[in-house]
Amino acid sequence: MNGRIASFAVSCGLPERAGDSTLKSEAKLNRFFADVEKRALRIAEISVRDRDEALDLVQEAMIKLARNYAEKPAEEWTPLFYRILQNRIRDWQRRQMVRNRVMVWFGKGNEDNDFDPVASAPDPAGRAPDDELESHEAMRGLEDALGKLPARQREAFMLRTFEGLDVAGTAAAMGCSEGSVKTHYSRAVHSLRETLGEHWQ
Amino acid sequence: MNEGPDNSADDVFVAKARQRFEESVDRMDGATRSKLNRARHAALAEAGSRQPARLQWATGVAAAALLAVLVWTGNQPPQDVAAPAVADIEILLTEDSLEMLEDLEFYSWIDLDEASEMPPEPENHVG
Repeated sequence: MNGRIASFAVSCGLPERAGDSTLKSEAKLNRFFADVEKRALRIAEISVRDRDEALDLVQEAMIKLARNYAEKPAEEWTPLFYRILQNRIRDWQRRQMVRNRVMVWFGKGNEDNDFDPVASAPDPAGRAPDDELESHEAMRGLEDALGKLPARQREAFMLRTFEGLDVAGTAAAMGCSEGSVKTHYSRAVHSLRETLGEHWQ
Repeated sequence: MNEGPDNSADDVFVAKARQRFEESVDRMDGATRSKLNRARHAALAEAGSRQPARLQWATGVAAAALLAVLVWTGNQPPQDVAAPAVADIEILLTEDSLEMLEDLEFYSWIDLDEASEMPPEPENHVG
């Protein structure tokens, strides 16, 4: 009888513990996303040059991570999240290439896909002192230079420099070897310095 | 070898790029932050509303098993043909019929003989 009571108590206790665990896991995931989302959005935005599209890609990456990889150790979330995001960005870029080809075929060009830096620039909301402007311009120059890099070099540079991933984490996020990351990153830094010049601030 | 100064210049450049990037993140406007916040909550809600992968897998296996059972039973002979066999078992298991078990071969031969004398089933009963 006591055994039955004990097993009943255990069976009653389990759902509560599982619920608590789920809530904790969700809260942890929420904190992770809150920490990474702004940088992820900027990285996606630099890659696709459209804020709304970047927002969609970041949200898709969040959903996939939450749905498929939430049970993984939290230390693995960052490279996993960026791997998902980079895959989404690549898919988006492929679709855009096909779309642009089709548009050119029908003679419409890609006028509705032109990037408008003024329209898409973040709203400074009244904060426009000289240093803000200088920083803004410098970042825009860097974004333009990044846009001219091969995709893999751009990925390696942004993941290492902007997100602060180490070589192993970047390799996991890019799905390539650490040696490839080092090569892409080194070439990216060299190209960017050459493009932006020594006086870039 | 001038790797030292070059690396140092690379490091300065990378640090500056990181600083500019962080400043651009800090400049992000309230509307975009709000959109990000909504996107995060929507992602968590959508992911939470879906069944866990293991549960989806188990549901799929259960559905496949059910389908297999349905297909298998669909290919079985009609129930009315199997009914005499069930009736025979009931007769055999009654206490006063235990002697029949000793002559099981004989009774199964009678059963077969009776079955062969039954009129043929209609052709269209399978469906």
